[in-house]
Amino acid sequence: MGEIVRYKRDVWGEEVILGVSWDLLWVVAVAVLVLLAAHAIIMAALANKKMDKPSAEGRRVSRHDVFDRAFHWITALAIFVLIITGVAPIIGLRIAWLNIHWISGCILTLVVVLHIIRAIFWQDLKAMILSPTDFGEPFDSAQKPGKYSFEQKGMHWGITLVAGTVIVTGVILFLQIDTPFWDRTNSMAESQLGLMFLLHGLSTLALIALVATHIYFALRPEKLFYTRSMIKGWISEEEMAANHDTSKWSPKEAE
Amino acid sequence: MVATSHDVMPDIELYQPTDEENALALAATLGQEGWLLAGGQDTFGWLKDRNKHPSAMIELTRIDAWKGITETADGIEIGALTTLTDIVNDPLIQSRYSLLSTAASRVASPQIRNVGTLGGNLNQDARCWYYRRGLDCYRAGGNICYADSPEGLNREHALFGQSRCVAVSPSDTAPALVALDATMVVSSENGQRLIDAEDYFVGPAVDIVNMTVLRPGEILTAIRLPNTWANAEFYFEKVADRNVWDFALVNVAAAIKVSGGNIEDARIACGAVECVPRRLTNVESAIKGKARSEDTANQVASLASDGARALNYNHFKIPLMENLVKRAIRG
Repeated sequence: MGEIVRYKRDVWGEEVILGVSWDLLWVVAVAVLVLLAAHAIIMAALANKKMDKPSAEGRRVSRHDVFDRAFHWITALAIFVLIITGVAPIIGLRIAWLNIHWISGCILTLVVVLHIIRAIFWQDLKAMILSPTDFGEPFDSAQKPGKYSFEQKGMHWGITLVAGTVIVTGVILFLQIDTPFWDRTNSMAESQLGLMFLLHGLSTLALIALVATHIYFALRPEKLFYTRSMIKGWISEEEMAANHDTSKWSPKEAE
Repeated sequence: MVATSHDVMPDIELYQPTDEENALALAATLGQEGWLLAGGQDTFGWLKDRNKHPSAMIELTRIDAWKGITETADGIEIGALTTLTDIVNDPLIQSRYSLLSTAASRVASPQIRNVGTLGGNLNQDARCWYYRRGLDCYRAGGNICYADSPEGLNREHALFGQSRCVAVSPSDTAPALVALDATMVVSSENGQRLIDAEDYFVGPAVDIVNMTVLRPGEILTAIRLPNTWANAEFYFEKVADRNVWDFALVNVAAAIKVSGGNIEDARIACGAVECVPRRLTNVESAIKGKARSEDTANQVASLASDGARALNYNHFKIPLMENLVKRAIRG
């Protein structure tokens, strides 16, 4: 395996960080594929085929408002475009990627800011907070979650941390290129610039791993009703009763 | 690594194929490790300064099939290994495509033209001195442009198409070939690709480390000039700091078809203002149907610099470019 960090000589001949080694992209890709494939195999082996799936029929309860669903899919699209345009030059695809990349980055930043405002003032922020009791949930089948499970909260905060790092470093790097709004100044010291590239690269790799994991779980048969709720907004009462503690989460009836 | 001159060449595995098949097989096998060597006028500077470190080199000059100028049904085909001197002196090119022979005659110096090839002139790397000096800039795989910084010396750099890197296309023959609507013949073990000259060059927005669309394993083997622009009215002018052995500050190549005193069709391209030869389609459209005259030239010359973004030290290139285009149009 190659190195993790790439170095270069700056204009003064000093060794400074250049960025992350993109060999890690392949390491992450293979590791994620292997882990997810192993999970799929283990889950298939442990599956109790006789276990009934809760029905999607009957009364429906609202899980995601239309604003939240729109936020989720715009975020997803922006992240996809960012990953594709960011990875394209690394794997040798020749496309004019930079403008698409920063425009998507601006959209992602804006949507995330709006989401934070909405989550603080109009949503039940506590539903997403990880409490110490949540950590016992995966080990106790009797303990059911409120609106979000331990895994969902973990994924949310993992992506928040990683995407936050991508956004902050991305905005700093954005300032170093020409845009319709400003001309670049190349004002950052090369060592600081290299550090930003390193953090941007590392957080991107983590984001790729988390996004792949998120998609995998969204497509798992037992979780598909959550994916449907992110499209249509609702889950059935039976699905809610089977997977959630109604004393911790009492949604309104879906329209 | 900052450049240091050395007395001897570094160790490189040298391959000297004498036929096309072997050359293409070597290019395919060696991929990015196989540095293609023609006249060597770009290569040897890199090697002497130890700023590029190819482990292997494929010398192409022994392949006769990729040399010479032949007439075809659709025009002429020039082997990529044809020397610039041969192009300058070729009667067929002189009589039908004098734009190219004039452009080739303005490359560097007689000694360099004697060994430098058309393929080499088209495929030569950027001449930005920060890059050439071995600094780890964007083009060298880094994350900064030294030329486009507050202190950067960028008198020779780009007016258009800057995308992090601001280096320009240094070739004199490239704008001429774009103006002549040439086709590049790119060969590999998988066959041939035909690429319009205009699409052969690539800017930093798409590929910041390469200047052409050539991929590892591919070799530019020939350039085809179509009959379409044979015997048109041509104009080539190059402005450089020295009259010989220098790269263009700006050059212009124009092919203009005139009928009854009016411009029927035109193709105009400028070099050294962008990372690719810049075709001036807005100027071409504006002059169609108009008289080839001083008035027309004065009316449209400013269109040439539409969208130009000058750097700290290259504002002079804007009027220079406009004036060259004006001179090309008035003839």
